[in-house]
Amino acid sequence: MTDVVIAAYRRSPFHFAHKGELVKLRPDEMAAQVVRALVADTGIDPATVEDLVLGCAFPEGEQGLNAAKLIAFIAGLPESMGGTTVNRFCGSSMQAVHQAAGAIHMGAGDAFLCAGVESMSRVPMMGFNPMPHPGLAERYPQAYISMGETAENVARRYQLTRAEQDGFAVRSHAKAAAAQREGRLEAEITPVEVAGKPVAQDGCIRPETSAEGLGGLKPAFRQDGSVTAGTASPLTDGAVALLVCSAEYARSHGLTPLAKVKSVAVAGCAPEVMGMGPVEATRKALARAGIAARDLDVVELNEAFASQALACLRELGIEEAKVNLDGGAIALGHPLGATGARITGKAAQLLQREGGRYALATQCIGGGQGIATVLEAV
Amino acid sequence: MSGTTGAPMVATEAQAMTAPTGAVPPGSPIRRVGVVGAGVMGAGIAAQVANAGIPVVLLDIVAGGAARAVQAMLRAEPAPFMHRGAARLVTAGDLGGDLALLAGCDWIIEAIIEQPEAKRALYAQLDAVRKPGSILSSNTSTIPLAALVEGRGDSFAMDFLITHFFNPPRYMRLLEMVRGPATRAEAVAAISEFADRSLGKTVIPCKDRPGFIANRIGGLWMQSAINRAIDLGLTVEEADALMSRPIGVPKTGVFGLLDLVGIDLMPHVAASMKATLPGTDPYVQGLREHAVILKMIAEGRTGRKAKGGFYTRVKGADGESLKRALDLTTGEYRESETPRLESLSLRDLRAQATHPDRGGRYLRAVLLDLLGYAASLVPEIADSVADVDAAMRLGYNWKYGPFELIDRLGAAWLARALAEDGRPVPPLLARLGEGSFYRVEAGVLEYFGTDGDYHPVPRPAGVLLLADVKRRGQPLARNGSASLWDIGDGVACLEFHSKMNAIDPDTLAMLGKSVAMGKQGAFKALVIHTEGEQFSVGANIGLALFAANIAAWGEIESMVEGGQKAMRALRAAPFPVVGAPSGMALGGGCEVLLHCAAVQAHAETYIGLVEAGVGLIPGWGGCTTMLRRWAENPRAPKGPMPPVAKAFEMISTAQVAKSAFEAKEMLLLRQTDGITFNHDRLLADAKARALAMIEGHVPPETRPLRLPGASGRAALRLAVEQQAALGRVTPHDRVVCDTLAETLTGGRRDHTEETPEAEVLALERKGFMALLRTPATLARVEHMLETGRPLRN
Repeated sequence: MTDVVIAAYRRSPFHFAHKGELVKLRPDEMAAQVVRALVADTGIDPATVEDLVLGCAFPEGEQGLNAAKLIAFIAGLPESMGGTTVNRFCGSSMQAVHQAAGAIHMGAGDAFLCAGVESMSRVPMMGFNPMPHPGLAERYPQAYISMGETAENVARRYQLTRAEQDGFAVRSHAKAAAAQREGRLEAEITPVEVAGKPVAQDGCIRPETSAEGLGGLKPAFRQDGSVTAGTASPLTDGAVALLVCSAEYARSHGLTPLAKVKSVAVAGCAPEVMGMGPVEATRKALARAGIAARDLDVVELNEAFASQALACLRELGIEEAKVNLDGGAIALGHPLGATGARITGKAAQLLQREGGRYALATQCIGGGQGIATVLEAV
Repeated sequence: MSGTTGAPMVATEAQAMTAPTGAVPPGSPIRRVGVVGAGVMGAGIAAQVANAGIPVVLLDIVAGGAARAVQAMLRAEPAPFMHRGAARLVTAGDLGGDLALLAGCDWIIEAIIEQPEAKRALYAQLDAVRKPGSILSSNTSTIPLAALVEGRGDSFAMDFLITHFFNPPRYMRLLEMVRGPATRAEAVAAISEFADRSLGKTVIPCKDRPGFIANRIGGLWMQSAINRAIDLGLTVEEADALMSRPIGVPKTGVFGLLDLVGIDLMPHVAASMKATLPGTDPYVQGLREHAVILKMIAEGRTGRKAKGGFYTRVKGADGESLKRALDLTTGEYRESETPRLESLSLRDLRAQATHPDRGGRYLRAVLLDLLGYAASLVPEIADSVADVDAAMRLGYNWKYGPFELIDRLGAAWLARALAEDGRPVPPLLARLGEGSFYRVEAGVLEYFGTDGDYHPVPRPAGVLLLADVKRRGQPLARNGSASLWDIGDGVACLEFHSKMNAIDPDTLAMLGKSVAMGKQGAFKALVIHTEGEQFSVGANIGLALFAANIAAWGEIESMVEGGQKAMRALRAAPFPVVGAPSGMALGGGCEVLLHCAAVQAHAETYIGLVEAGVGLIPGWGGCTTMLRRWAENPRAPKGPMPPVAKAFEMISTAQVAKSAFEAKEMLLLRQTDGITFNHDRLLADAKARALAMIEGHVPPETRPLRLPGASGRAALRLAVEQQAALGRVTPHDRVVCDTLAETLTGGRRDHTEETPEAEVLALERKGFMALLRTPATLARVEHMLETGRPLRN
């Protein structure tokens, strides 16, 4: 079967929603800038790309209509290219990769632009018009449970202390700050222009984060809880783009792939502990790849919350030393629809940079599911 | 807020454009203001200038001091800024490096330490950078102008005056102004006009005498009230009870006031007065050092800022807060006691002041000190008794100025009492004889002048006071709770005058009658305005509680329905109706404003739908109108949920706008509604707005709403559960929230169909009645009536 590879990975800087430097940037424009940069950097002829697959968790307002096709127009890509917007909440742009990989495998195209975007400043989480099914909300309220509540449930179920969660967040910031300081994020970040001015640096990382500082924060979701704003990923604006193509396409276009897609999986779980979604999804993906967790060299596990990240690592038996080497979402930010592509691209890039054979990118998804991708070095 | 921190940043034109500019008349010569000294007064003055929409430079001698002051003001309560956007108009800087920023200012206010040398040294610096013709003023409270201009040139003296603000500058309406012999008339006119219209101050001209008017008289009053209390053996509670309600002074009285302003301030004020007033002045003569007060200062018990002064609070055995008071003889705290003096129980001031108990003797002694002194100071400190009274009312929040108090006591009685005690009778008092300082002649309020004649109390051009209208004649209509007045040019004014202007069936009847009279052509436009401190605290919930206790549900429901009818009639009136509120406009009072064709609000108007606080929901169209306003707001996202979510958030948490500007942000006022800074100009501004609206006035159409129904209710429930997880929702809050959610989402309606307004109003009534039948709501109502605070049950 044709190998599917991640041939290129670019992202915008990530910034706090509502107060960061991307507040005034429309999400479609932001994503178009990142896609355009990726195409330019790879030197490919965009006419050879089958489709632009865009992940977005709240595809309405400026992220609405069929944002993917509109982004292709904004980016100046040829009319011949398709465009589809996919939604699997936080897993949306990893789903975009899975969709492209599946299409390539069945011969439905050679090259795909897989992007993700979320402006949490400009389109609120829950959307502008949240209208839950009243019957379901009554009978099965956890279908609509808030993410913070799920993080509290996980912390309780796995008896994760406040100190353990704070410690995890401190390490995430420390790793991200070191990566930023040492220029290790430059390979992935493409500056975006906001009102004529370039924004080139991540805005969420707080190098000064300390256990003492986090210890002073009040619980953010439950009065007697242990999850705070410091141990949750922040509301974030950002966009990501990957070039996903067949190994043959990469070779013929002179591209050096970062990694190949070995296996993928999704799995559902109880919505009230949605943070545990990565466990079953990862197990399935590892089984499909024919490997075990101990075979993984690099892991990107999305840090929606410190509690769920710690609990997933414990359940899967993965050492923290392999995980999120340049920091995770607690430090970098979590633009919902963009994160899946970021951690997939990042895992591929780290596999190439750090050496090793297998990498995993996995994340939890609101509503009760997980998604996972196993990558292999090329 | 980057413009208020770190290095100075000049407010851009774009920022100025987004700030409210309604307070500044076009053509005003004051377009940019500078303030030097970022202490409590300087920073507060800068904030008020920014509130008026004027860019202001705030410099401090201490590096970073001004930026810190701005940050502190953003967190302070009561808030110096009327809305967060105002802070962006303040450019903070350091005197050392940013003096040049003052070159662009039309008016520079100095508010630094009260030392003549320091002020003069600063003036030399300011004189070097200021632009020609710019005006300089000092906020000094005690230093004569003559001493301040010493050593400076003529051009400086021409541009210099004293503008003395009161603390806090946003809220206190008095501005004492002193001009020197050389001060340009145009400078006086420009600052007077700006302070009046843009900053909302009443400008009182003062003579160049120490302490000007308010602190000279207020200072002597405090001194006398302390000295006499100690001499006559009164407790602090007794003294404060006598020095408050009987004479129309805020309930802090004298010792409570000292706790508020800081007891350590007293020696400074005393030293300053001693240094500047002649030794024969009663103020200097009465200066005494009390061992008990010296001890308090030495021990740091300087008032509320130090967690204790003449009063303090301690935690009781059950964790409750217990009030304790200082024993003036021992200097130790004891349990606070309610004063029991027969003199306190009397109603008439003269009867109180002539009562033989120690309260009566105390009151008489302080009143003789205060009023005799005040009468001796005209014309030394001010040209007229009316100016003195206005200064005390506005600068010290007294209900009556000293000359109004003399009229209450009887001028002849006071003269005799002074003579009996062997004290001099001031010439002005002697000249008045058996008369009074004020009289109403042909419907005009007049005061007794130093020339022995009566003169009309002057009103600045364009000021229209309902009190003046009322002196001139009879109302067009009147009942126990409201009156309708002719305010000229075919405009009528509906005034509420029940207790706290609470809305009761009489108020509603007068609303209905006003609309009916207007329809019959009795007037062409209507203004709704009240002169008291509050516009209206809302529906009379005491009546509702009474009716609920006797299960008169039918009567209650008909009052709710009657209110809805009255509000709808107001909105549908074929003539313009303009609300002109100031102070609190809560609950039903807010709903009256929501149904006016336009509102001209005093900047200090506090509007909100607070029904949830007493376990109810707005029942007179408040829910319906807020839904409509959010639905029609072009900046709100489209769809059935945003208006519901916005209205729900505001009403369920009983949010109150803390200024008219905040009310605009919350859509309680429209963007097109006007804001007046000077309370005395509110009625005239509202009348002008009403007159401008007469031609072509068409009442608004009542289009149906599109509401989300059960889906929306489910979304709101989820939001409430999230708040509940954080411990922010009490059991009865849940009940109120659910009723509110059902009302705002349109009950069983679906968002694909239109919900007629009448249906939402019916839901309001149904929800209101259902809640009123719950014991928890009745408990909230009862608690509010008893304590004035919401019950969290």
